Amino acid sequence: MDIKKSQQDLDSTAENAESTTLDRRDFFRKTAALSVTALAGTSLLASEEAGDPAILNPTPWGTKWGDPVTKNLYGMPSKYEHNVTRRYTKLLASGNYRASIAVTPLQESSGIITPNGLFFSRSHGGVAHIDPNEHRLMITGLVEKPLVLTMKQLKRYPSVTRTHFIECPANGGQEWRGPQYNSLQFAKGFMSCAEWTGVYIKDILKDLGVKKEALWMLAEGGDSSKMGRTIPMEKVWDDAMIVWGQNGEALRPEQGYPIRLLVPGWEGNLCVKWLRRLDFASEPWYCKEETSKYTVLKPTGKAIQHFYANEVNSTVTSPSPEIDWSDLEDGDVVEIEGLAWSGMGTITGVDISFDGGKNYVEAKLKGLVLPKCWTRWSYMHTYKKGEELLLTSRARDDAGYIQPTIDQETLAVGVEAVYHRNAVETWKVEKDGKITHVEVRSQLGRKANGELVIEGKA
Amino acid sequence: MVFQLNKKLFISISAAVALSLGLSACMENAAPTASNTLSKSSIDGGVEYPIINGKTGPYYVNTNAHNLNVKYGRTPTKAEYDEWNSDIMPDGTGLPEGQGTADEGSEIYEAKCVMCHGDFGSGGGGYPSLSKGNAYDLHKTLTNQRIKPDTDGPVRVFGTYWPQASTLWWYIKDAMPHPMTDSLTDDEVYALVAFILNANEMSIDGIEVDDEYVLNREKFLKIEMPNRDGFEPKIDGPQGPENVRRFYANARNFGGQRYDIKDPNSRCMEGCQEPTAKVVYIQGAGISDFHPPLSAVRDLPKEKEESHFDAKKAYATNCAMCHDTGAAPAPGDKAAWSAIIAQGMDKVYENGLKGTDSGMPAKGGSSLSDKQFKLVVDYIVNQSK
Repeated sequence: MDIKKSQQDLDSTAENAESTTLDRRDFFRKTAALSVTALAGTSLLASEEAGDPAILNPTPWGTKWGDPVTKNLYGMPSKYEHNVTRRYTKLLASGNYRASIAVTPLQESSGIITPNGLFFSRSHGGVAHIDPNEHRLMITGLVEKPLVLTMKQLKRYPSVTRTHFIECPANGGQEWRGPQYNSLQFAKGFMSCAEWTGVYIKDILKDLGVKKEALWMLAEGGDSSKMGRTIPMEKVWDDAMIVWGQNGEALRPEQGYPIRLLVPGWEGNLCVKWLRRLDFASEPWYCKEETSKYTVLKPTGKAIQHFYANEVNSTVTSPSPEIDWSDLEDGDVVEIEGLAWSGMGTITGVDISFDGGKNYVEAKLKGLVLPKCWTRWSYMHTYKKGEELLLTSRARDDAGYIQPTIDQETLAVGVEAVYHRNAVETWKVEKDGKITHVEVRSQLGRKANGELVIEGKA
Repeated sequence: MVFQLNKKLFISISAAVALSLGLSACMENAAPTASNTLSKSSIDGGVEYPIINGKTGPYYVNTNAHNLNVKYGRTPTKAEYDEWNSDIMPDGTGLPEGQGTADEGSEIYEAKCVMCHGDFGSGGGGYPSLSKGNAYDLHKTLTNQRIKPDTDGPVRVFGTYWPQASTLWWYIKDAMPHPMTDSLTDDEVYALVAFILNANEMSIDGIEVDDEYVLNREKFLKIEMPNRDGFEPKIDGPQGPENVRRFYANARNFGGQRYDIKDPNSRCMEGCQEPTAKVVYIQGAGISDFHPPLSAVRDLPKEKEESHFDAKKAYATNCAMCHDTGAAPAPGDKAAWSAIIAQGMDKVYENGLKGTDSGMPAKGGSSLSDKQFKLVVDYIVNQSK
């Protein structure tokens, strides 16, 4: 038993150490098979081998001085982290990558905050680089007193700081008819989460005399695409914000510097970047991105418009197709980790299934559980080498919603919806510990010609 | 003109094919059932967290900060308001006077739009299609569902899907052409809208928008979009927001699944899948065109080798969409290039790097480095001497 314990200690040491070079791994593999002796007070490994070169050999960084503090006055990640980046695919590219998206590496994420440089980037006319001194916010329409503000004036209003995810409603939207991406980054990375600082719009409006006929607000960007969306007043009077701060610093240009709209929990597309104008009216606008796109076409031929909230959702982030379990040994105790989120409220719990959603057990929530925010969850698992598993997570929220199966969801909205897909996702753990993205589907009612029967269709 | 006829023929054939594959549509609408409708809920069907005892949800709030009147800024001038007030509403609010024909629109389209949107708005290369043929016929495809691999999907373009024509006018004026927005006159926008109506084979007030049709404000406001009533919930009129609230109070309307929040243990924990449940895998190779390629390795980044830069390939990716389509001088067009080269290569590089008023975006809209971009310029110039 002592032997077992010391092995575990060493394994955990190995996990905690920074370097995971092949040399070290080989070393531990070899020594694990060798005899182990316990000495008084301390367990040490006796072996024919001298040990791990990463420990035994002097290192350049341990023997020569490093950079002066005068270098990198704005800090950058270690150069060894160069593979942790946003990524893009031509499939989702338009306008010479100007009306396009680059997605967040969720497989490398920790906690509930996305670093600003990795926050997913979506624009309709490219990333604008706005001079904040030459940028204004104008508020017009059905208000007694229209207003124009400089950025400095805007920041004089009392600030509010909130942690919220922003999710493109097309997250997972390529996979209505089956899995497409063997990648967590592409299957679920059209979202990120940050601590935002800005001002409640209602605090600015208080003095402007908003007329009671005003039912809708137009938010419009000052970039070349003039992206606009219509927001109902109820959200404006609740928690809609104009934000300038992201994780303790200014918004990045990719996030709408100097200011963007933040409508917590709602479609990322509604969080208009490079914001320059708010207009109020009694009728909705019918902006380009709320009719041609961002609508959910159902089998009835009718499409859902003004689909605001991103519904309750979750995913397993560890393991993932990118960082799998192929290095695990039989009997290793491993943490299954994931994210859960709901734009309708707060996560109340997450279940995990090992058989693709047939049977579930409850996972544990971890860390802060905040409204309309990423929530971490965890489940400890003892890995059996060679075992195949179907890992499926299922979240629920305080609005009373739980994630549907893909069959339940397509029965209601068909397979042409594109947006707002929040059905459970499944990772298959293969015999060798590799991870494959799959979908678990039932054969629903079928016609004689093999066609699926979907509600609302003849 | 011959070209136009061919295009009509082509589109009518493709429309017929699409329709013959399309299924007879049941337009029956799943109406909200009163029993599932909550008595009071927020507009999105979710939870709101009002400030109670100085807190909203888990966050503390300085209630003084939100109760006091804070005032900054000034009233905009009329000129400032007019400059930014470019939105066009469905009732014509904001729509200026002007006019243009489909023929005029066709010329502008060939010069400024075709390189992205394709011949007659057919799309391509990741850019949206503006038409797939007769809007009235193809509107019927909206009930199509691609359930089998060989079935046609719904056609979602301006003519078949958009509920309001005002959206098109506003969008073209404010946000097109993509690399140089807000550059068209009102008459040019009317002409382009006429061209797109023509490509969608649409009529106004029973009159077909043909090549000679003069579109103006009055006629524009008479456009009836085939899919005007194709969207739910209804957002127009004083009851708009309440309609939205009622819609999202019913999970059935949008595919939501509810559980009993007062008895969460009643949620399904065992035998939750149909007995027929099976694992579906990624078909073929799936989508794996990822840039940069997926990797979780911690190592030093590879040195970028500029010497292996392929200027010809970079030209095809970044420049050909305009320079090979007649929108800008093609490599080898010695007459056009000799005048440009005569300015001196420093000037040629500078124009390319910074862009020009005549339509060249900075670096052609590419993300090439300055050094790489100059290599592409050299590639073009060397072929044009």
